[in-house]
Amino acid sequence: MTLCPECEAAVVNHDLIAGEIFPCVDCGTDLEVTTLEPFAVQTAPKEAEDWGE
Amino acid sequence: MKVAVVGGSGFVGGELLRLLVRHPDVEVVQVTSDSMAGQAVSRAHPNLRKVSPLRFTPHASLGRADATFVATPHGESMERVPELLHSGGLVIDLSADYRLHDPEQYPTYYGRPHPHPDLLPKSVYGLPELHRDELRTAAIIAVPGCIATASILALRPLVAAGWVGAGPVVVDAKSGSSASGRDAGPAGLHAERSGVMRAYAPTGHRHTAEIEQETGVPVALSCHGVEAVRGVLATVHAPAAQPVDDKALWRAYRAAYGEEPFVRIVHEADGVYREPEPKILAGTNLCEVGFAVDPHAQRIVALGALDNLMKGAAGGAVQCFNLRAGFPETTGLDFLGLHPI
Repeated sequence: MTLCPECEAAVVNHDLIAGEIFPCVDCGTDLEVTTLEPFAVQTAPKEAEDWGE
Repeated sequence: MKVAVVGGSGFVGGELLRLLVRHPDVEVVQVTSDSMAGQAVSRAHPNLRKVSPLRFTPHASLGRADATFVATPHGESMERVPELLHSGGLVIDLSADYRLHDPEQYPTYYGRPHPHPDLLPKSVYGLPELHRDELRTAAIIAVPGCIATASILALRPLVAAGWVGAGPVVVDAKSGSSASGRDAGPAGLHAERSGVMRAYAPTGHRHTAEIEQETGVPVALSCHGVEAVRGVLATVHAPAAQPVDDKALWRAYRAAYGEEPFVRIVHEADGVYREPEPKILAGTNLCEVGFAVDPHAQRIVALGALDNLMKGAAGGAVQCFNLRAGFPETTGLDFLGLHPI
């Protein structure tokens, strides 16, 4: 079972794709799909883009 | 199932009627109020216009029902409940008169000895999250107080986990004006109540006894009236017996309430409503609980939010009634609230 790294809620893959960001159903933390097989997530970085700076 | 409501003209009585007239397995056969005898229930509760043809009858005319909800002021149920029990029906008392198991507590918190201490063992404290199995066979159901419900549901998982350290747990509660009832007196006048942040019971509030009874820890309760009609927010400050983190708290609250139909654990990372908030619970039977860790002060803050007239009174009563009657626990209680409100 995949767990939210922040609150340990069970995270279920409902048609997610690699790299997709979605909120944890319990704590609302944005999670990022790191791999699909096996299904794994991490806390999404707050700002991953440098916006060309 | 035929039910009656005693003391139906107050705010809690109105909420009971709102729920019961639409309950699929219930027929409301009588609603009593001495002060409004003969008048339509919609005179007291205009939201029930053209919904219920019921009229208030005097208390003295109360007949037998399969279940009787008693929503009279504290003190009146003490004498009324024995007669109702004798008639053979189920009694659901929304006053404080049968909540405390220890008769010694009544003079301290309610100013008089209990006249029927022999009946106290027949009463079950009406909090399904703690007493579900006992409620299925209860003769008397004593519906908890609103502040007590929010406080107990917030605090209980911390006690169960053994994380409450030495010293009293401080509960700081805020409540809306409807908690004072329909006959609140001068303190409830708009000119006096509007805009207040009033410490109406900095110490000695009666719900202290209930919270201590149901959690087993000493409690210091302070109560405030705030600018709202409905709602209770209990902020519980518990001394931490050991360091804990958010993940451990999530586990403890999930263990307590993961399967509960009317308790939502709220502790979100972002958004406007990150912690429990009574505003969006108005009209619902939901209690939101949440938590935060304060390592600096070595305390755990727990939060409980609800609608005082619903999960804190009428909604909780109907939930208990459903359990006792063998109906699905959530029957008639599925309103999800309004947003924005």
